[in-house]
Amino acid sequence: MDISIIWNTVIFDPVLNSLIALSTYLGNNFGWAIIVLTVVVRLILFPLTVKQTRSTKAMQSLQPKIQELQKKYARNQQHLQQEMVKLYKEAGVNPLGCLWPMVIQLPIWIALYQSIMQAMATTPENLLGLSQHLYAWPAVSQAVPLNEQFLWLRLSRPDPNLILAILVGGSMWLQQKMVTPPTTDPRQQSMTSMTTMMMPLMFGMLTLSFPSGLALYWAVSNSIGIIIQYFVSGGWGYLLTPKPVPAQKPPQLEEQTKTAKKAEEQSQTIKKASGEKKGLFR
Amino acid sequence: MKLRFFSNRSTDLIVLLCLAAILFLPALGCSAPAVQGWSGFAGSEGKLYFTSIDGKVIALNVSARSMNLPFPSEGEWVVTVRSQTAPSGSICGPACAPAAHPAAVYATPVIAEDLVYVATYAGDNGKVMAINRSAPGYDEEGIPSWIEGEWFYPRKEGKFIGAVVGSPIVVKDTLYVGSSDGKLYALDAVKGDERWAFDTGGKIWTAPSVSDGIVYVSNFAKKICAISSETGKLLWQVEFPVAIASSPVVSGDNIVFGAFDNYLYGVSISDGKERWKFKGDGWFWANSVVKDNIAYVGCLDHRVYAIETSTGNELWRFEGDSSFVAPPVLVGNSLVICSESGSLYILDAAKGTMVKTVSIDSKVMAPIYADGNNVYIHARDRNVYCIDLQDGQIAWKFSSVIVNK
Repeated sequence: MDISIIWNTVIFDPVLNSLIALSTYLGNNFGWAIIVLTVVVRLILFPLTVKQTRSTKAMQSLQPKIQELQKKYARNQQHLQQEMVKLYKEAGVNPLGCLWPMVIQLPIWIALYQSIMQAMATTPENLLGLSQHLYAWPAVSQAVPLNEQFLWLRLSRPDPNLILAILVGGSMWLQQKMVTPPTTDPRQQSMTSMTTMMMPLMFGMLTLSFPSGLALYWAVSNSIGIIIQYFVSGGWGYLLTPKPVPAQKPPQLEEQTKTAKKAEEQSQTIKKASGEKKGLFR
Repeated sequence: MKLRFFSNRSTDLIVLLCLAAILFLPALGCSAPAVQGWSGFAGSEGKLYFTSIDGKVIALNVSARSMNLPFPSEGEWVVTVRSQTAPSGSICGPACAPAAHPAAVYATPVIAEDLVYVATYAGDNGKVMAINRSAPGYDEEGIPSWIEGEWFYPRKEGKFIGAVVGSPIVVKDTLYVGSSDGKLYALDAVKGDERWAFDTGGKIWTAPSVSDGIVYVSNFAKKICAISSETGKLLWQVEFPVAIASSPVVSGDNIVFGAFDNYLYGVSISDGKERWKFKGDGWFWANSVVKDNIAYVGCLDHRVYAIETSTGNELWRFEGDSSFVAPPVLVGNSLVICSESGSLYILDAAKGTMVKTVSIDSKVMAPIYADGNNVYIHARDRNVYCIDLQDGQIAWKFSSVIVNK
């Protein structure tokens, strides 16, 4: 069977039709349909998001130890890998643990993204294309073609103001800041600044040229991400953590040992915590 | 091969970039909506007028094409319909800033006297233009050089009506055209002056229909409106549960049209009250063709139906190989219809049985045109096909791509 048929039948069409039917139940308002479906999908995927957040946090807490190992075995990559495997094993952390939940969520997000683009069929070709994906539900046929007005927006057109771009960029920046630990390592710093600044900037810019329906979905999704992050991680995370002063000298052996000890304690706590949580989100 | 573990930061970054790439690849490749248009033909005195997918109005001399003479031969010409602004409806990533695109044309041109009328679709904008059939007022680069009798509506540069999808019609000396701004316009066909405009309150993507001094028009706001052709005053309007997909067609004292709930409706011509409805398994997107109280209509469910317009009873159905986006034509006792996948079916109009079929191996969305024993198809591969109905063969084809003026 063609993979596109499987994709459409199993994932894309159900998401698309739910979105369109929702807009009928919400007073022919496609904007509210996007918001509600984004919230619903995020609620369904909540256990996976929590798992991902915890896994990421566990990985972050191992960073001091990893850095220590990287310095220690800078010239012996093979040994470094072995030591890192050992470290992950001891801490009970799977380095790919934060990837799997995201991989599982990805198809749903792609389907939601495609659905928003497809549902706002603005040209005759798009509308005809849409017809091939619609169920014979009265709630669906009543909504087509969709009402694209929402607040000041025409959902099929980019937001003429900067409001949505600021919302998308701002919420993404906030979310990134919450999860990104401050670092003194220049290599890490450049990577950090790329994720915390470049991605929000890029999405903000894209908002200016993409349909505002899609930007609305980004803004809502980011906002829910912030809320989940806040409650799962217990607060604003690294947002309020002061920027560390770059070290002028290499850290003393004593300090390194301290950090390693702290990391050891943290990893034990995480190991314990992940063992406790297994029953909840398995 | 060494296995390297990613640090969690680089993992995050890779994941984010992968996600961004998946989401934006189509956009960076300029995911502007597919706006190509699907103009059908207007024919007169051995000439065919249509608009190509790349926005050129082309006049073809049928006999010159049948002899495969170089284009342009006698009476043939081409002009580019330029949109005067970038299409505001384009959805374009930063990689492709929208420029002055040629307008797309979905509406089939119409002919009245010396003029051929073309209505355009450029994002939110549209214009109606009247071009002299024998000597269009454009230079070789397609730049308008106004000649007497030609006109634009609206006249002012930078002024537009909403984008036009449904074909205009000319009755006596008035041109009626519906637009995406929700208005039905009545224009002086000779001078291009506005006689009246009526706001129906929803996008009009269908062609109006005129009968006994009344214009019938459908829109996406789920309405059928009856408007006086003289004054532009609303006579009645009826709201349906769903938006109307196809143009209203008058048959006796009924109006027939399809809606987005997969039904074909028959309503009273006097007050719009529903008389019957017939269920298909897809949208009745194309308008029906009516003769002797029978509506012949193609459906997106791959079928062609013959429906009695007084009762809504099904007389026959024919199963094709794909959706029917373009309306059928009647040629003598035959019903000719082309499926979206490019199969032309010649059916016995009385029984719905297939007499012949011809495949052109290209998608077809534009209305087909019949003249004598020939049927002309404007396909998505940018070719015009002439099919001889007698022998069921492609008589000739013409590529609109070679037209580069």
